[in-house]
Order: sequence, then structure tokens, then C-alpha cells
Amino acid sequence: MNSRWPMLFLGTAMLALFVFGLFSGPAHLAWSEEWSALLGTGGATAETIMWQLRLPRLVTAVLSGAALGLSGLLMQTFFRNPLAGPGVLGVSSGATLGVALVALGGASMGGVTGIWDMGPQVMGALMGGGAVMALLGLVMGRFRSRTALLIFGLMVGYLAGALVTVLQAGAEAGALQAFVHWGMGSFAHSGWASCAIMVCALTPAVFWSWRASSSLDMWTMGALTAATMGVDERRLSWTALGMAGVLAALVTAWCGPVAFLGLATPHLVRAAGISGRHAAMLWPVVLTGAAVALLADLVVRLAGVPLNAVLSLVGAPVVLMLIVGKGRIFSKVRNR
Amino acid sequence: MKGKMMCSGLTLRHPSEGVGTLSFALSAGTALVVVGRNGSGKSTLLKTLAGLLPARAGSVSMDGVEIAAMRPQARARKLAFVPSTPPRGTVLTVQDVIELALEAGGHQADATSVEQSMLQGGVHPWAQLPIDTLSDGMAQRVMLARAAAQSESLILLDEPTAFLDVVGRREVMADIGQWLNVGKAVVLATHDLDAVQESGWADRWMVMRSPSQGGAVLPDEAFSSHAAKSMLMGEE
Repeated sequence: MNSRWPMLFLGTAMLALFVFGLFSGPAHLAWSEEWSALLGTGGATAETIMWQLRLPRLVTAVLSGAALGLSGLLMQTFFRNPLAGPGVLGVSSGATLGVALVALGGASMGGVTGIWDMGPQVMGALMGGGAVMALLGLVMGRFRSRTALLIFGLMVGYLAGALVTVLQAGAEAGALQAFVHWGMGSFAHSGWASCAIMVCALTPAVFWSWRASSSLDMWTMGALTAATMGVDERRLSWTALGMAGVLAALVTAWCGPVAFLGLATPHLVRAAGISGRHAAMLWPVVLTGAAVALLADLVVRLAGVPLNAVLSLVGAPVVLMLIVGKGRIFSKVRNR
Repeated sequence: MKGKMMCSGLTLRHPSEGVGTLSFALSAGTALVVVGRNGSGKSTLLKTLAGLLPARAGSVSMDGVEIAAMRPQARARKLAFVPSTPPRGTVLTVQDVIELALEAGGHQADATSVEQSMLQGGVHPWAQLPIDTLSDGMAQRVMLARAAAQSESLILLDEPTAFLDVVGRREVMADIGQWLNVGKAVVLATHDLDAVQESGWADRWMVMRSPSQGGAVLPDEAFSSHAAKSMLMGEE
């Protein structure tokens, strides 16, 4: 499918959701107030609402959705597994453990209070997510089947979850409450600084995915064939895993372990009839991830339900349908 | 015509006993059939020739350049490789695969060249189908078309007919015959001695044996499945 219509549609949808999100909210500002606040000529309160609350939240949603979608796409391509994603493979869990170590362990020891504090938390998430990604990279040659990879990720998730529970049990009440709240997922607690860092991570990841798209395609034909088609196996592996891991970990640091976006976004794109080579999937996946994140955030704001509840309520049935519905996700694919 | 492969004093890393030292040259338009029992080192030989495994000693070169010293991209322009099983679990269509192959080989990957490569490989009717939906035989022919699109000079095949039926085997052997006609060099590791004999193009051959059985040999006489079988069974 080479038509430009899907991209145009996705772009428009994203823009519409963004604008709608920007001009709606509980503050009941008038249109003119909102507009002048955006231009910097409005009242101080309105300006704070627009520039410090709504805009960073929307930009965070766009960047996080795009990052998770790309992370999921990279993992599905790299592991040749349609069910791979940052959640399923335990990367989000690893990042969560890293955050828990900083936010719960750190809070009880050194009095680091704010769960939304940037520096240490980001380091924790990157190290936790990165550790799981590195582990996957090291053992992936040993997986005899696709399901083995998924079960491996699931078990890593359980393990990280158990350690998080241990940390929670020993945590001080305030830190625990903040951590649980963080775990529900939200785009509301990140600021311009984290958006800037996200851009710094997302831009090279998109650029690399574009440049390396042929290598990633060759990779899906098997490591041996890819290597004889000119793919540098080690470089491709570590770059793909590294980028997918960093993107997922960064989102986790600021927005919590956001459910399903990474796994489901590439499938939403495929369901829309766009599939095939990596380059054809890249932009639709990035845009769809952003649009879905905006839509989910809108539901969060209108219905007052936590982000992960919204995403799971939609994401889980989508994946179930993929597995059971047409039976397409596994039946076509033999375990080799 | 380019595409001359030289092996000198080559010792493989596997099997542990080795097959002795290999020295041979292969020029454009010729084929080398490699036969040997399971585990005799056929795959190791092919991977070493492809530059994927380092040799224990000796060297492999293409047109005077040592394979092991080439970067993967440069190597992909010199030679292509076909493993015994076609890929599974990829979303690529036949056309995608051919496009990628032309790109890997450093050729123009425009619509005309893709079309032409698919026609030459006889995979044109399935152009838009994902290779995952093809049978093993069809998918393997796509992999042969891929190798042919990628490399003008040397193609290495590791038991490409292992999972194919009689017709599929014959088609693969016929494809190889066509490549030889247009000047490609071929190294084929196979157990399919009768299909090779039947194809008629087989000339040079190599028997992989352990040193206790006399080591690897490149018989002077032309390939015959009868001679190959008796050498494999140790009745010289």
C-alpha cells in the first residue's frame, strides 16, 4: 500500500486531537483567553495553564506514543515476533524496578522525595530497562521458538515485579503512594525538560530506523542470510535493542509503565492495511502511536480513569483478537 | 569476467579432526559440488568461504581480495549464500526480497530490474505474495532468485534441496545450470547426488572426508553420482 492517504489521515487525526486537547480542560477558560495565553499576551494563570500544564502534557503524549510505537516495531522486527513489545518482553518491568529502587529505596534512605524528580529516576529506568534489553540480546540465540522469548520476557517481568513488591513492603507511606500513582501511568507529570530529552532520543532513533530499514528487512530473513547480504549482525543487534530499550525506559521514567502502546501500535497500522518493509511501517507507526496516546489521554481527562486502565481496556482485546480472531498472528508462522 | 575464487592452504575450524588442507580455485561459469557425510564439515566450508567463520589457517580470496578482511557490505557484492531452509516469520513479499537483494548486491533496484530478476528466477507470478505464504519449494526458489539477483559472480548453496520434493529439486538444479551459463560460479554442498547427476552441469567435485579416510579430495574425473557414492562409502 503506497497511498499517501493513511499518512494524511493519521497526521490530521493527530493534529485534531492535539488541538482539541489544547483547548479543552477543567479550567473552563474562554477561547480568546486560551489563544492570547498561547501568544503570551494573556493573564498569568491562563498562561501557566496553557504553557506549563496542557502543552507539555500533550507534547509528552505525542512523544511517548511515538517512542513506544517505534520501540514496539523495532522489537517485533528484531525478534521476528509479532507479539514482542516493551511490556511483554519485560523491558517496562525492568525500568519499573529501576525507578522503584530510586523512588522507594532512595526515599527511605536519603529522603529523595518526589517520584516525579527527573535525574535519578531516569537513570534508574534506563539502567533497569537496559539490563533487561541486554539480557535479551545475550540469550536470544538460545530461544528455540517464538513462544520461548515471550515466556522469558514474562518471567523477567514477574521477577522484577516481585522485587518491586519487596521494595514496596519496606517503603515509607508517602513514597509508596506516589509510586503506586506513577504506576498507573500518566502523561501529566513530565515537563519541558523531559520533552526535550525525549526529542533527543526519538530523533536519532527514527533517523536510524529509516537509514537501517533495509538491514532490518534483511534481518527478518534470518541472521545467516542477513549476514551474507551485508548486515553487520552485532552492530544491528545492539543498535536496535539499545534504541528500543532507551525509548521504552525513558517513557517509563516519566509516564510510568505505559501499557500496550508498544505492542499494539504496529498491529493497528497493519490492521489498516499497511505492512511489509520496515520503511513503509515507520512513519505510520510513529504517527499512530502519537495519535493513540493523545486519544487515550483525552479519555483520561474526560473520564478520570488512569491511563493504564484506558490502554489495557482497549489494548488487551485488540491483542486477544489478533491471536484468536483470524488466527493470523501465529498460524502462518512456524517455529524455526 | 570477474568472480575468481581462490582457496589456498585452507584449514577449517570444524570438524575437530579436520578434513586436511584445502587448496583450489574456482573461476566464472564453473561449479564445485561438495559432498560428504553429515558433520563432515560441508556447512563449515561454505560459511568459511562466505567469510562468516574464520579459518584456522590459510585464506580465501575473491578476485584477489581476501574475504575475511572485507566488510559485510563489500562481501555481499562479491557473493551470495543460500541456506537449506527458506526464511519463515518474515512479512516480506517476493518483490521486497528481490529489491533487497539488488540493493545488497549494489545494483539498481528500480522496478524494471526487480521485474527482470523475478522473471529470470521464475518467481514472477508470486511477486506480491509474502514469502511466508509460499510452500517450502516456492520459497526456496525465491531464495535462489534472491541470490542470483544479489551476486553476479559467486553463489554458495548449503543443501538447498534438503526439504524439497522431486520437482522442487529439479527446479533448483535447473536454476543453477542457468547461472553457470551466464558465467556465475557456484559452490553447492548437497546430499542430492542423483539430482546433481541428472542436471548434467556438474563437473568439478569435492569429497569431504576425515584425515583417517584420506582427507578431502578433489577428484580429477568428472562428477558421477556413482563415483561419489562409492567414495563416501569408502570403497575407492
